[in-house]
Amino acid sequence: MLEADKLTKRFQERLAVDALQLRVAPGEIYALLGPNGAGKTTTINMFLGFLAPDDGEARVCGVSVARDPVAARRLLAYIPEQVALYPRFSGIENLDYFSALGGKSHTRQELYELLERAGLQREAADRRVSGYSKGMRQKVGIALALATGAKALLLDEPTSGLDPAASHEFSRLLRRLASEGVAILMATHDLFRAREDASHVGILLGGKLVAQFTQRELEGSDLEALYLEKLRA
Amino acid sequence: MILRIARKEFVDTWRDGRFRLGALVTALLLVTAGLLAWRQTERMAQEREAAAALERENWLEQGEKNSHSAGHYGVNVFKPLAPLALFDRGIEPFVGTTLFLEAHRQNQASFVPAQDATAMRRFGELTAAAGLQWLAPLLIVLLAFGSIAGERERGTLRQTLSLGVSPLQLVLGKTLGLGIALSVLLAPLGVAGLIGLSQAQVDPAFGLWTRAGALALAYGLYFALALVGGVAVSALAPNARSALIVLLAMWAAGCVVAPRLASDVAHSRLPLPALAEFEKALGEDLQNGLDGHDTRSKQMEEFTARTLKEYGKSRVEELPFNFYGLAMLESERIAGTVFDHHFGALWDRIEAQDRFVTSCGALAPLLALRSASMALSGTDFTHHRHFAVAAEQHRREFVRVLNEDLKNNAKPGDHAYVAGRALWEQLPQFQLQPLSASTALSVASSGLALLGAWLGVALAALLWAAGRLRSTLA
Repeated sequence: MLEADKLTKRFQERLAVDALQLRVAPGEIYALLGPNGAGKTTTINMFLGFLAPDDGEARVCGVSVARDPVAARRLLAYIPEQVALYPRFSGIENLDYFSALGGKSHTRQELYELLERAGLQREAADRRVSGYSKGMRQKVGIALALATGAKALLLDEPTSGLDPAASHEFSRLLRRLASEGVAILMATHDLFRAREDASHVGILLGGKLVAQFTQRELEGSDLEALYLEKLRA
Repeated sequence: MILRIARKEFVDTWRDGRFRLGALVTALLLVTAGLLAWRQTERMAQEREAAAALERENWLEQGEKNSHSAGHYGVNVFKPLAPLALFDRGIEPFVGTTLFLEAHRQNQASFVPAQDATAMRRFGELTAAAGLQWLAPLLIVLLAFGSIAGERERGTLRQTLSLGVSPLQLVLGKTLGLGIALSVLLAPLGVAGLIGLSQAQVDPAFGLWTRAGALALAYGLYFALALVGGVAVSALAPNARSALIVLLAMWAAGCVVAPRLASDVAHSRLPLPALAEFEKALGEDLQNGLDGHDTRSKQMEEFTARTLKEYGKSRVEELPFNFYGLAMLESERIAGTVFDHHFGALWDRIEAQDRFVTSCGALAPLLALRSASMALSGTDFTHHRHFAVAAEQHRREFVRVLNEDLKNNAKPGDHAYVAGRALWEQLPQFQLQPLSASTALSVASSGLALLGAWLGVALAALLWAAGRLRSTLA
């Protein structure tokens, strides 16, 4: 579970996140929409403990990020827009290293299986990641979430720059993770994927959550029109 | 966790073709330096050994002559090459290797190797120590500059810290990993050194293994502080390029500018007299006495009067021994105090310069290392002074034996007295008892302490940089 309780962050005089109240339950995918500078990445940074909130609290499965950032991070997986990997290492070596840093050790066979579950074939897993496409890197990121047994997943523009097939495959993997009980918070500009994948959608403007919809509430409505309407308001 | 990060860092570094190329070039340079030094040292040792044997033969074969004249005939003594000069030649190329010992005069060592060198020598000698002092830090710069800053640019830093790794674990693991990579690079040199040391025939008094261990400690501290400092700068820099520029500037300032600047400042703060000035002042004091009142002739007149009074004689020819021999002994004693005064002051000044340059190690660790390295290798000025003092003691004993022979065996007033090979053989060959390892360690201790302090500063910088790391990711 991911919870933001009156989470607030200021950069000098500018309010980047304004008393954000948010809850992502296990199995839910929460898509956080908003224009550039709306506070999406700042929110993720506060969940990761890279930024200290000025007020309020971010919690991961009940663990306060501010009080125990290491314990909170142990429950998290983070997939940025461009999954960062070591180019001189193969996919499986990257996964082995990062999962060890996450406190989990796996046999080589288990690592292959995790990568296969994330959609990366064995032949590709043994190649250096310097030749990987963005989609393949995202798969290593998903495999890492699986490897560390993360209870919550933070995604920052995960489908940006992916071709439609890769984007589709990525969302299939996300849904599978959610079905396994992982709470997913996804900051995105991709209205289509938000509409398709998210169980909840929130619109963030100027650091303030101006609207929230459940998947059911969005049925039969045009998310793009709703989003633009909030932007113009 | 730290070991896991270190292992990854080592493998990642090793897979980097640039590192392997750099390692190859460095290894080649160090091996070349080692081989050149070995050849040169062996040649010099042979030359000095042959020269010493020839000198002895010349001394023994000089024929019959007055024993005081034999004192003027004199002998050359040769400075033995320190066993670790192979590693660090220190000031050896710039100080004389041969001392001419003769009656009445304390000479300075002559035959400075640098005078015979080609113009290329002006660019510095390629020794293993020079390679480790100058090139290794450059290699460390190239290893360390991207260690954290590069990860920040690639995004792997966020990825790593998002997994619950603490910044301190990360920086320590990375430093350890790079340290292992550097150790692998330097291992062949270390192994070659150990083999060389185990086969060296060295006077136990030199304390070869103690000195070698302390040298390893000094260079270990130097590399560690360069590595820790390099990772700290990389953690603080906004990007890898900035880290590289800062580290290269630090290398240039610390390894190129600082040694020259410290040497120039030492010379301007503690100037040495020009050779002509030194010789003039020495000559004046030999003539007029150290106090400027008791001239040499006056002192000798007084000595003659005292001796005649002691023996109750009115003429030196009436004394029961050859007075000329006794007068020479007294003359040497008086001159000895003047030599001790002038050479002591000169050498004290040179040692003060050395201490000043070592203290500049507080600003540039290379200076602290260089001082410790030369002292432990037996190639610093303290060791040279030890040779000069031992040679002077040998000269005084050598002249004393000749003058005693003249005093005791020549009839009073007999100017035709001659001695022969039997006397020449009584005079032993010059043997230098090496300066002990404990003395060398004592000289090197300030340099070692400064290196330790520098490592402490570098570690503090690393801890501080680790503390700031998380805030730089947002």
